[in-house]
Amino acid sequence: MAELGKNGFMNQVLPQGAVFPDFMLPSAEGRLVSLTRKLARGPVIVSFFRGEWCPFCRLMLNALTEALPEIEAAGATLLALTPETGGLALTMKEYHGARFEVLSDVDCGVGLAAGVVFRIPKLYRGMLRPDFAERHGNAGWFLPVPATFVLSQDGVVAWRFAEVDFSRRAEPAEIIAAVRSLGARV
Amino acid sequence: MELAQVRYFVTLCRTLNFTRAATQCNVTQPAFTRAIQKLETELGGPLLFRERNLTQLTELGRSVRPHLEAMLDAADAARDLAAARSTRLPASLKIGLGPGIGAASIAGAVSEVANALPGANIHFEESGPAALIEAMLNDMLDCALLPEFCDLPDRLNRWPMYTDRAVAVLPPDHELVKQNAVTARDLLDQTLLAGEYCGGFSVRLAAATGFSLRLQRCNGPTSQMLDLVAAGLGIALLSDRLRVAAPLTTRPLHDPELPRQILLTVVAGRPLNPAAASFVKLCRAQKFV
Repeated sequence: MAELGKNGFMNQVLPQGAVFPDFMLPSAEGRLVSLTRKLARGPVIVSFFRGEWCPFCRLMLNALTEALPEIEAAGATLLALTPETGGLALTMKEYHGARFEVLSDVDCGVGLAAGVVFRIPKLYRGMLRPDFAERHGNAGWFLPVPATFVLSQDGVVAWRFAEVDFSRRAEPAEIIAAVRSLGARV
Repeated sequence: MELAQVRYFVTLCRTLNFTRAATQCNVTQPAFTRAIQKLETELGGPLLFRERNLTQLTELGRSVRPHLEAMLDAADAARDLAAARSTRLPASLKIGLGPGIGAASIAGAVSEVANALPGANIHFEESGPAALIEAMLNDMLDCALLPEFCDLPDRLNRWPMYTDRAVAVLPPDHELVKQNAVTARDLLDQTLLAGEYCGGFSVRLAAATGFSLRLQRCNGPTSQMLDLVAAGLGIALLSDRLRVAAPLTTRPLHDPELPRQILLTVVAGRPLNPAAASFVKLCRAQKFV
């Protein structure tokens, strides 16, 4: 973590004002979900999760599930992205009773385009219990850092939270405030 | 990691020449070199040996290359699919189906791709594993569903999809219809239709039990084999994932069960077109029950 911080990882994360790359990814239910289509309805929140195995991700998913009515009331769509495959996105969604889309960012492609992907250093691989090769369907040892982007309707990053410390997450209240300030600007 | 750094590295892997790779990426050589160095710092070591006339991948470079290529392809595919949707260029999805592997399990994913890319051509090819593998390597097929019991070259990426089991396909008035399941012993005095595309369950049953089964060769598509079952020529042992239409009925084969794992395979390191890439992602993302 300290190493990621020291290496200027944060400079690589897609900054405020940048256009978030358009994407289409499989949802937990096996549908293809397009960012453009969601943007047509209003602002979009794109949030990266490491997986259901991560206790901090579970906490944040619970918090977002609770905050969803407020997010929707502010006119925004929430998309949760995870590199997990093999039905684990659905498991995640069902476990939290989430009504928002959980998408499989297969092979971390969108995470890479957003600049939030890092490789787990060899030293730490033994300490992490999950079998990533099986969960991700590749043996690359890549994970996203917890990051949340609030996109205005034109797909531009209006607000973002990214943190190399995986225990620190965006506060739902901050996300909602960011969405609301967008509404105020329109 | 940055998308540009990964793109530069993958280009460098293909050219093994800094000047040429930088030109291909439309970037100055100092900027190119800096990006590669940053990637090396992040991945924890040199990715390439730089000698005067020779650029070669280090062990670390070789080990991360396929994963970075896959990630770059995924990034490009997610974007290309979104773009293909708006340009409405004709797309195609060519899927190979190994012996006795029907399209029923993947029909949902195929429909999803066709809905996302209207006008996409969908093509299924049913054949033996060797022919399908060759077609994939020659870029005639995007991907193939193959049974675990076949020689897969290292160049193919593979992901387990589901496990199928054998069912006995029976004509409506057959005596075995009265049973909930059939066993190998029930089949001893029956004629079993066996063909090159039926999935090899009869041959495996004979090998597993040591019984000498009465086999009737019947090559060609499964639909014709089912016509012969309906005509009373014999019983077919097929995958429980195949849809069998009435009046034919199926009974699961127990004792032995003959499970077979089905793998989704694609050629490693070859970028797929948006339709094929999204199909593979849809299949990998879900769990087939």
